[in-house]
Amino acid sequence: MNPLAIEGAAEVRALVLTGYGLNCEAETCAALQMVGARVTARHVADAIADGDALAGHQLVVFIGGFSFGDHIASGRVFANRLRFSMGERLLRHVDDGGLVLGICNGFQTIVKLGLLPGLDPGLAQRVSLVMNDRLGYWDAWVRLAVDRDSPCVFTRDLPPTIELPSRHGEGKLVFEQGPLRQVLEDRRLVPVRYADETGAATERWPDNPDGSPGGIAGLCDPSGRVFGLMPHPEAYLYPENHPRWIAQREAGTLPEHGLGLHLLAGGVRAIAAR
Amino acid sequence: MHPRKIRDGVHRGVIDGGNQSGIPYSRGWELFDARYAGKPLVYCGTVAVMPITSAGRPTAEKVVRAGDVVVMLGGRIGKDGIHGATFSSVELDESSPVQAVQIGDPITQKMVADFLTEARELGLYSGLTDNGAGGLSSSIGEMATFTGGADIDLALAPLKYPGLMPWEVLISEAQERMTLAVPKDRLEALLELARRREVEATPLGEFTSSGRLRATWAGKPVVDLELEFLHEGTPRVPLRARWSPPVRPASSAEAVAAALGEQRLADAPGAIGQDLLDMLARPNMASNEHLARRYDHEVKGLSVVKPWVGARQDVPSTATVMRARHLRPEGVVLAEGVHPHYGDLDTDAMARACVDEAVRRALCAGARIDRLAALDNFCWPDPVQSEKTPDGEHKLAQLVRCCEGLRAACEAFGVPLISGKDSMKNDAHLGGVKISIPPTLLVSVIGQMPDVRRALDLAPIAAGDLVFVLGPTGRHLGGSELARQRGLTLPGVPTTDLAAAAARYAAFASARDAGLVRSAHVAGRGGLAVALAHMAMAGELGLEVALGDALLRPVPEDMPLTPAEFLFSESTGRVVFTCKPAAAAELTARLGAHGLQALGQVAAAGPDGGGWLRVRRGERALVDVTAAALRERFRPAALHGPPAPLPGQTQEVAR
Repeated sequence: MNPLAIEGAAEVRALVLTGYGLNCEAETCAALQMVGARVTARHVADAIADGDALAGHQLVVFIGGFSFGDHIASGRVFANRLRFSMGERLLRHVDDGGLVLGICNGFQTIVKLGLLPGLDPGLAQRVSLVMNDRLGYWDAWVRLAVDRDSPCVFTRDLPPTIELPSRHGEGKLVFEQGPLRQVLEDRRLVPVRYADETGAATERWPDNPDGSPGGIAGLCDPSGRVFGLMPHPEAYLYPENHPRWIAQREAGTLPEHGLGLHLLAGGVRAIAAR
Repeated sequence: MHPRKIRDGVHRGVIDGGNQSGIPYSRGWELFDARYAGKPLVYCGTVAVMPITSAGRPTAEKVVRAGDVVVMLGGRIGKDGIHGATFSSVELDESSPVQAVQIGDPITQKMVADFLTEARELGLYSGLTDNGAGGLSSSIGEMATFTGGADIDLALAPLKYPGLMPWEVLISEAQERMTLAVPKDRLEALLELARRREVEATPLGEFTSSGRLRATWAGKPVVDLELEFLHEGTPRVPLRARWSPPVRPASSAEAVAAALGEQRLADAPGAIGQDLLDMLARPNMASNEHLARRYDHEVKGLSVVKPWVGARQDVPSTATVMRARHLRPEGVVLAEGVHPHYGDLDTDAMARACVDEAVRRALCAGARIDRLAALDNFCWPDPVQSEKTPDGEHKLAQLVRCCEGLRAACEAFGVPLISGKDSMKNDAHLGGVKISIPPTLLVSVIGQMPDVRRALDLAPIAAGDLVFVLGPTGRHLGGSELARQRGLTLPGVPTTDLAAAAARYAAFASARDAGLVRSAHVAGRGGLAVALAHMAMAGELGLEVALGDALLRPVPEDMPLTPAEFLFSESTGRVVFTCKPAAAAELTARLGAHGLQALGQVAAAGPDGGGWLRVRRGERALVDVTAAALRERFRPAALHGPPAPLPGQTQEVAR
């Protein structure tokens, strides 16, 4: 239970938005505390009413859950609320060098808000996350292949593959018509992909739980500072979260920290290093 | 309505209610019996951690003062859930009202829960009760006992739609509603926070010391009852119970010998292996992973021993372990026991078996033996003698015996019952036939452990490790899975020697805490055979078991058990565990007096890279199966087919 020490982390301020059916605030805040960042958890309603809620925060986290019940479509209502209340401020936050992380429902939300893939100025939605190909919501651990050549600042220090819990019903990425997918691939804006046992990207269930093309499990913007993914790094903070931790311990391969913690640490480290 | 449809509906409800509430799934199972067609039972439970103090006050104390405002919070009141409590306690037929069922909205629930946490930290309310059975009448009636009265105006309550009568407003069980006691000087702050959180909060009146519960409708009196009459006014009904043990014609000796005897093995050497494979595919034994994985196991990020464990995470865990809080090592262990089929023979034995199994499971995963508590859920057929229930005296006697067994077991294991619930009219007339559910007791156990890094699961760890069974095996096949599988009526419901089991568990927990045990599992439904099958699948290692004469000697002393009897007996009180060879001597010294017997050894994976299970008697292999073969029968698609598609989704067959 040693904290993961990051030099300068105490200067990093993170904002975690909560409420309206979001439900991963405890573990997300715990993760940021474990890496030494200063965390503020704020109800979305208060953050919107405040008008200046983002000020002073270098990292904004959109957490998992069921925002507004995910009625209509996952993240849709939340994205619209944000668009008309703090959309401009979020864009400015990113332009000013701020980081945004969206996990699961948070990823769905920032995709529908148009913050990702972030190829153009302004907020325009160009990709979406839709119903999984088979079986709908499914809870299982998945393996992710990490693209070390992606500009994503969160995944820089991760090993080539990591395992994380995945649990969602709408995680299949779809693109607007045209060359967009190729552009994202060419610019290495796909930091993580569902992978099979060999570590190769896969579209096959259950290694790929949602049927996302090319195994795409997450996207980042060209700056690498805005990152969203479907699996849950904040649910693998402790080595004992891993489904095979006892076997790993007996084999001498139990990591000191959960590998999901390293993903959040990557974001904090990128800020602290500035 | 076909049971499958009801089952899929229940599953859908748990998916939405649990997942959207942000509550991690921990334990779950299904149990089938034709008699549950009368009333399917659904047990859902949650466990929470609360701060010892909040806003400077101890959270365990409810403080309601005269003058505090009665505030209703959350959803609005509708006609849904009117007479819900009564409904759950009457026989069902086609004229049963649909509106008796409450229709929940999990997001409202989640927003109410978040609001309550926030308001509690700010000290904005002094007491609260949920609006469950009986709605406002019950919650306000109960809270009024703290001050000695309450005055409310029902016309103030927000409604889903107009047209409700005052009595309907008072007793509706519409969901997601809490009743709060709010000090007057906090009311404005509470209402303001509720507005900001988009949670509806409505003052309905105030708590008084008048000794009466009074309700008006826009000022006009509609209820005026003495509190004492309300709570103590029901006269006690004396009921008669008469216990006569059920007499069932036992299967013929020939039929029993053909199923369980040695001759069958001589004729068909693989017969027990085949029995095991067939058993794993039975509805009560097969995997329900396809249902369980629709639930969120990981939210809150605290899971340690998950609902599904093993190399492929497809074997149900003996008990689950969660970290209690972030950044802390302490853990919470959850386990359960449910054995309605024993209750057909003796409900006292059933109750003992339920507590025993729940405790044993929790101990296998690492719970402190002196920090266990339990929850009892009774679901019973109508136990009151009447024209419709001519066997009421017997059913009541079953209830009495169950309570006696429950008490004896909880006392023996030192396990307090900290919560519980009952439902007493689980009968139905369907097509002119009366169907009563089997008396069903569910015992859930919660345990603490000081450090989750000491948790164990059931997967064997390394080739060369030894496999032991702790606790004697007797001829206990009455009410067993094997009896149902083979269509036999067998004697010998598992009785539980509570004193011996308690001593055995103390010794086991001590050896476990000394680090001598590497993996542990219970022998429960399906006996040792099923426990070993789980272990072979989970470890993806071999299990080599030898049945010597000593193993087949039953306790109490009797005719030696046949191999089939030994492997499928459901004697309670048994733990199967593995250890390093070097630990065997010390374990024998510590546990030898408690019925410790060597079963065999963990071996390397088979040629297919997977686990296997071989059970020998002398030179003869009674069971010789690969984990792949076990899995083929155990996996859910083999039995149930794929789950029903969610709305808007095409059906596809699972891999």
